[in-house]
Amino acid sequence: MHQRSSNLNTAQSLLLAAAFFGTSGAALADIKVGITVPSTGFAAADGKSALDGAKLAIAQANAKGGVKGEKIELVVYDDQASPKEAVPAATKLVEKDKVVAAIGGSYSGATRASASVFQAAQVPYAVAYAIHPDITKTGDFMFRVSAMGEVQGRAGAKLVNDLGKKKVALINIKNDFGQSLAAGFKEGAAKFGLTIVGEHEYSLQDRQFGALIANLKSQDPEVIYASGYFYTAGPLVNQLRAAGVTATIIGQEGYDSDKFMEIAGPASEGVLVTTSLDRDSSNPATKAFLADYKAAYNAGADMVAAATYTATQVVIDGLNKTGGKGGAALRDAMAAGTYDSPIGKLSFNDLHEVKKDIQVQIVKDKAFRRHSIISDPVLLAPPSKSSK
Amino acid sequence: MFFLELIAQSLVQGSIYALIALGLTLVYGLLRILHVAHASLFTLGAYVGVLTYNATGSLALTLLAAMLVSGLSGVAMFRLAYKPLLKQPPHVALIASIGLFIAAEECFRIAFGASGLSFTNTPLQGQVRIGSLQFKEAEIAVMLGAALILGVLAWLQSHTRVGIACQATVSDPQMAESFGITLNTVRDLNFLVGSALAGFAGVWVAVLNNLVEPTMGSVPSYKALAIIVLGGMGSVPGTLMAALVLGLVESFGTVYLGKVLDRNAIAFAFLIVVLMVRPQGLFAKK
Repeated sequence: MHQRSSNLNTAQSLLLAAAFFGTSGAALADIKVGITVPSTGFAAADGKSALDGAKLAIAQANAKGGVKGEKIELVVYDDQASPKEAVPAATKLVEKDKVVAAIGGSYSGATRASASVFQAAQVPYAVAYAIHPDITKTGDFMFRVSAMGEVQGRAGAKLVNDLGKKKVALINIKNDFGQSLAAGFKEGAAKFGLTIVGEHEYSLQDRQFGALIANLKSQDPEVIYASGYFYTAGPLVNQLRAAGVTATIIGQEGYDSDKFMEIAGPASEGVLVTTSLDRDSSNPATKAFLADYKAAYNAGADMVAAATYTATQVVIDGLNKTGGKGGAALRDAMAAGTYDSPIGKLSFNDLHEVKKDIQVQIVKDKAFRRHSIISDPVLLAPPSKSSK
Repeated sequence: MFFLELIAQSLVQGSIYALIALGLTLVYGLLRILHVAHASLFTLGAYVGVLTYNATGSLALTLLAAMLVSGLSGVAMFRLAYKPLLKQPPHVALIASIGLFIAAEECFRIAFGASGLSFTNTPLQGQVRIGSLQFKEAEIAVMLGAALILGVLAWLQSHTRVGIACQATVSDPQMAESFGITLNTVRDLNFLVGSALAGFAGVWVAVLNNLVEPTMGSVPSYKALAIIVLGGMGSVPGTLMAALVLGLVESFGTVYLGKVLDRNAIAFAFLIVVLMVRPQGLFAKK
């Protein structure tokens, strides 16, 4: 009798244990997706937008039941937009957290460094807004949802031509971003017969451009193609106008933040940017994203948030197809998909670069509004495996 | 014309550098501490400036508030961080200073957000034409402000008891003390004045850029060190001259060497060249 009850107890406890491990097993099996963003350091503002964008996509997916009923968990590390912080962060995501996929929510330097870690571990890596060409060349587990630098640069040259102007001065920020934009712009400028009257460079830390502007004024350009981020472009545009420079200013997605208008003030009016997010879009996905973002964070979305949201969407979509499995299956699912995203309809080529239009926005009454859309599949073709 | 414009721009830069570097020189002259965290008081002044101006719309009140808050924070930094370390070798205080600087940067980010602050209605944005040169009102104000403040300080230092006491303490603390000068008062005063100047500079940089960021002190933190080395470590007139020279070298360097060397690299390349020729600094009396 005694013996039997003990057996029963054993059976009961086994059952209990099974139940316990069963549930905790399910909890452990939450699908982990990693993201690295610059939460601290000079790029922390973009890091916040990126993380907010990714979190919104994950929350929406989980509210719809996750992937086959399992929740998606976002694992976040700070890379300070620095290659030396990015590699340990990527390694932690792979080794410790064992993520099935990762999202690149950082700048080119950091993203290039982590790319090889994810490629070696065969973890699909969806890069949001880092634009250096080497990222997708790292290998077949790399994806990018934004137009890379050269493509955006070519679009900038086409925009100058469309405006009917010829004399351009370049102001390049001295990093991966500025270099690839300038290279693309010059390629396009040659095609459209534009004259580059001067080329100036500045570093990421510069906020005062007095000497550069004095030099630029002596070259008397019709258009200024200036690369940078809102925190460098804001003071730059402000100082250009204060110095009496009236040339049209063209920027890129780095300008794309409401902070740009705040910093540049009235000088921002009329500035054009080539970017991915069209505020006046009629695309339902873009409209829904802009409204949802506003509701969630009580702030206007910027290009970084939209691109990171899109990269996260691409990963979630792939996971839904593989039933939560990562590796080569996820890579193939992501590569095969077409996506209706806030930054337009996307599909990937064989190098996993996106084919998409470039949105031109203009600052009007302290807000980005639609100016035009540059749609030229030949000029804007991203590099493919055969071309590189 | 183009040259004049470049020279004018280097004067604007030089004035800002002078205001920042002066506090650093005062501290180095008195305590032989390399006060890296000085640049965080510059950032603090900029934040206080933007917040005060956005709340009140008065530039006078803004400058006063920024100088007061930065000045008092400088004194607090001295009393809480450096004073207990005065008996240690100088590198201990230097390490503390670097720590303070990094901590301050993160505190600004946590308190005011990563994307920085701007004026809602930036003061002194109008244009001024002097001959063929075009300036922003704020650029004129920063040059005049710096010249005025530094002039008044120089006069106070040589014409008042407190100023002379400060000079005496720098040249021989023990002797000064035996003449009845309270060392700690002089030290407090030094930090108060030097830090207030950094806060003053912070407001002007905020007005010129219309942007205050947590990391805005990172370049001034080391560039001011370069300036005091150029100026001959602890020499006030040397520091002022070095600040103006650096402004010039940077402006012309940006235009003529910009393709080869970064603006911040130009400053250090210049420092290296000067130290090879004149190890005691540009303006030190050997």
